[in-house]
Amino acid sequence: MKSILLIAASEWRYWLRSHLALAAALIFFVLIIAVSVLTAARMEAEKHARSHQQAEAEETFLAQPDRHPHRMVHYGHYLFRTPAPLSIFDPGLDTVTGQSIFLEGHRQNTVMFAESSASADFGGLSWLSPALVYQLFAPLVIILLGHGCISRERESSVLTPLLAMGISGHQLILGKALALVSFTVLLLLPLIASGAIALANGESVVALLSLFGVYGAYLLIWVILTLLISATLSKRSTALGAMTGLWIGFCLVLPSIAVNITTDAKTVAGKIETDLTMLSDLRKLGDGHNANDPAFQQLRADLLKQHDVERIEDLPVNFRGVVAMASEEKLTKVLNEYAESRMLAELQQEQHLLDYGLLTPVLAIASASRAIAGTDLAHYHHFQREAEAVRFDFVQGLNRAHVEELSYENDINRNKDEASWQRARIDASNWQVLEKFEFQTTNISERVSTVSSSIQMLLLWMLIAFGALLWRGGKIKP
Amino acid sequence: MFVYPQHSGFNAMKLQTHSLHITRSGKEILKGITFAVDTGEVYALLGGNGAGKSTTLLSFLGFLSPSSGTIQVNNKDVTSDVASARKMIAYLPESASLYEHLNARENIEYFLQLAGTSANKNDIDAALDRVSLAAEARLRKLRDYSKGMRQKVAIALAILRDTDVLLLDEPTSGLDPSAIDEFHQLIRSLADSGKTILMVTHDVYGACQVADKIGLLRNGTLVGEFTAQGEESIDTETVHKAFSSSIGTSSHAEPA
Repeated sequence: MKSILLIAASEWRYWLRSHLALAAALIFFVLIIAVSVLTAARMEAEKHARSHQQAEAEETFLAQPDRHPHRMVHYGHYLFRTPAPLSIFDPGLDTVTGQSIFLEGHRQNTVMFAESSASADFGGLSWLSPALVYQLFAPLVIILLGHGCISRERESSVLTPLLAMGISGHQLILGKALALVSFTVLLLLPLIASGAIALANGESVVALLSLFGVYGAYLLIWVILTLLISATLSKRSTALGAMTGLWIGFCLVLPSIAVNITTDAKTVAGKIETDLTMLSDLRKLGDGHNANDPAFQQLRADLLKQHDVERIEDLPVNFRGVVAMASEEKLTKVLNEYAESRMLAELQQEQHLLDYGLLTPVLAIASASRAIAGTDLAHYHHFQREAEAVRFDFVQGLNRAHVEELSYENDINRNKDEASWQRARIDASNWQVLEKFEFQTTNISERVSTVSSSIQMLLLWMLIAFGALLWRGGKIKP
Repeated sequence: MFVYPQHSGFNAMKLQTHSLHITRSGKEILKGITFAVDTGEVYALLGGNGAGKSTTLLSFLGFLSPSSGTIQVNNKDVTSDVASARKMIAYLPESASLYEHLNARENIEYFLQLAGTSANKNDIDAALDRVSLAAEARLRKLRDYSKGMRQKVAIALAILRDTDVLLLDEPTSGLDPSAIDEFHQLIRSLADSGKTILMVTHDVYGACQVADKIGLLRNGTLVGEFTAQGEESIDTETVHKAFSSSIGTSSHAEPA
């Protein structure tokens, strides 16, 4: 153990004297701090903007005057996706999936971009996040520092006297690994700063530890690979070239190929195509605006029978409202089936992409990072489901007011004259059907469970690479 | 006196090989060499380029495994206990490979610590005095050293390790004539104090001056062995002739 510590300390002394570690760490820290500050500022601004817009939307809805209830169903309401606390570290899909949704009766609208962010980043200039810096640039710093760890000793012929001192290949490799791992821990320190901000915004400690753990494992894979190449190739320049090639392959080429293959292999039906099929199915359910639609004849008969009356005018409830409620329920069922089918296809596509994590650890860490940060596809779906629940509740709340607060007679005569129009309005107090909405990430155990396969892949990478390194360590010779 | 190697069995020798065959990358480098170095003896292996001199040294350190034959340090088989062999040996490579970013003292301290020993500043200075490394040079980084200065640091390190055996690969390469003389005296005094020294060299004159025995290697075969008789050094002329003929040059060339 003493030899391992000595070798690690000696490596640090080399880095410090050659100014390599200082330069590499300085470049990395400037980059990560700049990106962290910018991302945190952007996401904090987004958070405040969306919270403000959410409050404003609720206020505007509730401030609507007395109206016909169905007008309020179509007046609609906006929901805004509050960024997850850890989105300051990994915004994930936030920047590409949209953050707000317009809720109204009879339809599920797609999530759209808030105007402010949409216009600010048409060029995609804000793509660089702290997570991406760790995923793409931290490995480069490790390569820069670690490629010469062992090849340098061999190139300068120091390896022979070193081994002749009785140092084993394993001791040499573990000493170099200890130096490189300690440097990697330093690289992870800015993550703690981002984590502290997220913690103050309500994130759990377990989530931060999980994030620290997966990034630690990911960077450890790069440490091991770098040492493996350094121990295998005899020249520093060759080792640097090989590791740079590996970085390009793992970080740029393979993920891009994996995305293209996945897109071709697991196609998700386009929105227009899906909407046309869905509209066709919805039409079969009848028009909820028309109480005389044949699709609601059975409902009419059942209701008349239930209340033992002959005409719908004699019903104690507004039949038009009852039709609207029944129609919304049936429509929502079909809409949800389509939505779930689309979400399942998207998840399958994502899972298929993740399978390529066996070829590059970058895909595995990207997936694990987004999930732990609460900015992944599952959370996007979670927002859509929550939004749909809010939509259904408030539409049915208004339909219930339509049923109970507005008589059928006033309803059907609403277009006769101005007085009839006024009588077809209900009191604005009925708009209190909205519950205060704030999007929350799922709890950390749920988040981690969704990425267990990513974590397993990272561990597999680590074990295989470490096994190869130990095997190589046993074969180190001058 | 010229004799052909006749070691047929193992005595209590510090270093010995028996019918040692070493193959590297499919090429047989050592073709069954047999020789032994006794405690307190200086043995010089002479030979041309590619004769197998450095390979022999690396075999004693366990870096190369025999394809057949045996190799022993202190009567223990090197291949079965490399760690013990390395503990007993101080190795001085030809290029005196040390860390360029460290000064002489730091290099010595670091390598001694790795070897599991230590030395205080005075001991290190005494060793550096012994190899005549100028005091003002000791705190300079080795990147500013000449080859001869590096060699001196490596020799000081070997002295400080205080091992029973010293393996020296072209130890006087890069040293100026006066430093070579000093080095030979040092080697002699180390051997007289009980160290066993195996050195490989091209320097016939130096080998004859310092060695108790000289082995002549040609194409991986030990073709001759010369032994000093009593207080007399090995005859340079005889060795030079044999060496020249073994490497195919004129026997009338001046000694190196």
